[in-house]
Amino acid sequence: MSPQIENIYNKSAAVFAITGIVNFLLLSYFNKALGLGIFYSALIFLAVFFLCYIVNYKFIESSDTYLFIIPSLLVELGLTMLCRINPDLFKRQLLFYIAGSFLFIFSTLLTKYFIKKINSPMLFFILTFIFLLLPVLFGVERGGARNWILINGYFSFQPSEIAKLFYVFYLASNLREGRIEKLHRLVLEIFSIIVLLILTRDLGGAMLFYLTALFMIFIATSRYDYFLLGFIVIVLLGGASFYRMPYVRARVLAWLDPWQDVPGRGYQIAQSLFAIAQGGFFGTGLGLGHPDYIPAVATDFIFSAFTEEFGFLGGQALILLYFLLVYRGVRISLFSKDPYLSLISAGLTVFFGLQVFTIIGGVIKLIPVTGVTLPFMSYGGSSMVISFTAFGVLNGVWISTRREEVME
Amino acid sequence: MYELLAQLAKYLIIGLLYYLLYNFLKIMIMDIREYDQEGPGYFLQTEEGKEIPLLKVTTIGRAVDSDIVIDDPYLSSKHALIYKKGNSLYIQDLKSTNGTFLNGVKIRKPVKLKENDVLVLGSKKYILKRRELNEPSD
Repeated sequence: MSPQIENIYNKSAAVFAITGIVNFLLLSYFNKALGLGIFYSALIFLAVFFLCYIVNYKFIESSDTYLFIIPSLLVELGLTMLCRINPDLFKRQLLFYIAGSFLFIFSTLLTKYFIKKINSPMLFFILTFIFLLLPVLFGVERGGARNWILINGYFSFQPSEIAKLFYVFYLASNLREGRIEKLHRLVLEIFSIIVLLILTRDLGGAMLFYLTALFMIFIATSRYDYFLLGFIVIVLLGGASFYRMPYVRARVLAWLDPWQDVPGRGYQIAQSLFAIAQGGFFGTGLGLGHPDYIPAVATDFIFSAFTEEFGFLGGQALILLYFLLVYRGVRISLFSKDPYLSLISAGLTVFFGLQVFTIIGGVIKLIPVTGVTLPFMSYGGSSMVISFTAFGVLNGVWISTRREEVME
Repeated sequence: MYELLAQLAKYLIIGLLYYLLYNFLKIMIMDIREYDQEGPGYFLQTEEGKEIPLLKVTTIGRAVDSDIVIDDPYLSSKHALIYKKGNSLYIQDLKSTNGTFLNGVKIRKPVKLKENDVLVLGSKKYILKRRELNEPSD
């Protein structure tokens, strides 16, 4: 790494720390009941960040620190909002961040040494299938989708998040030759996964899994006919679900015209739009908005709450941060010469990008709302931990690509 | 009092966020520059023995925004494109008026190049050479 880039990284880390300190000091003043407790937890957060940051670029050779700084920044902003909305969630999210950042390093090292050794499509398919089957059998319903698993009645997680990673590995190992050997088998396997997701009523998830497969097949084979066919199929399926599933119908109608039924169907989206409009260009200021009016504000609608208090400019900065992460993923994918690694990084990036697009697009009424989390910002342990693991894998791919280049 | 502080903090934080974005964009631009400059180690030798280094993607033509500008009336303004894909170099004719010839044959599709290939662009002849392996610059 050139000293110039290192300098920029260090500067960014410093700005990251200042942002955190300003935000959390303000919140300690805002929330008098907890007072400096918030500030001390923020110091723990910063300590964990700097620990992982230093490990990352001092001890892991040619690691892409960028992939750690931006997610941490997003987590920091998410924590700010969570702390303002509900301090209990804030404390738990802080623990998830600590777990996530250590998993980032762990999965980086794991990927670096083992990724090329395991590439059996069958194994990954079975793992994906098992993780998606669990909620169908033992799932607990939360927020309309039955995709939660409870262990001991206290610890809960979303297996579909873990399945996401295995699914990308499955597709990459299947397509690494650059062509599809048994089309009917691939289609059958993908659809069996989609059906499992639909059984748990996780339609947002089903759409993400389907589109990821579509994009990855296109990236691997460059065949327009598959892409077009797949696209027509999803449009037809979407149309069918509009007529067959009342749940989808309600969502689409709320998207088309939320003002028709503001207290009922259109409530979520209308409140979200009110909040964003309230923010204006610079926002109302931290703690001065009304996130308590927005439903599901800690999870799905955290973007609206953030935009209300930091304004259009803040929201736009968030979107740009996500865009930069996607750019970085695409870059890693383009650099790797091994098609398997290239496809893994492309798949993870596509999944991440689609997820961000789906939820931000949903809350600003660009597309119908689907209940997926905003990675790194929304409250949720599974999402946070798996997103960090996914970026660790990307980082590992990058490191092994760089190593090959040096050895050449 | 809190309102005032929150208002000030809001501007500060938005400013800091954009400063961070600016920094990350700077890194992005540096990456792209580095990528551009990493040539594949090949160069074109003219009849006079001059060496023209090739980039990962090199456009050749009379137009001033080509990567290699050659003042030759028989050359089109955007004449041909040489690019690296995987580990090999390819040449593609950009629908030039007088055509691009590889070892005496006019090319129609992108063609893979190898060392010591003779290219005729416009009125001049070029030979593709590979540089002896130097220390890789990092």
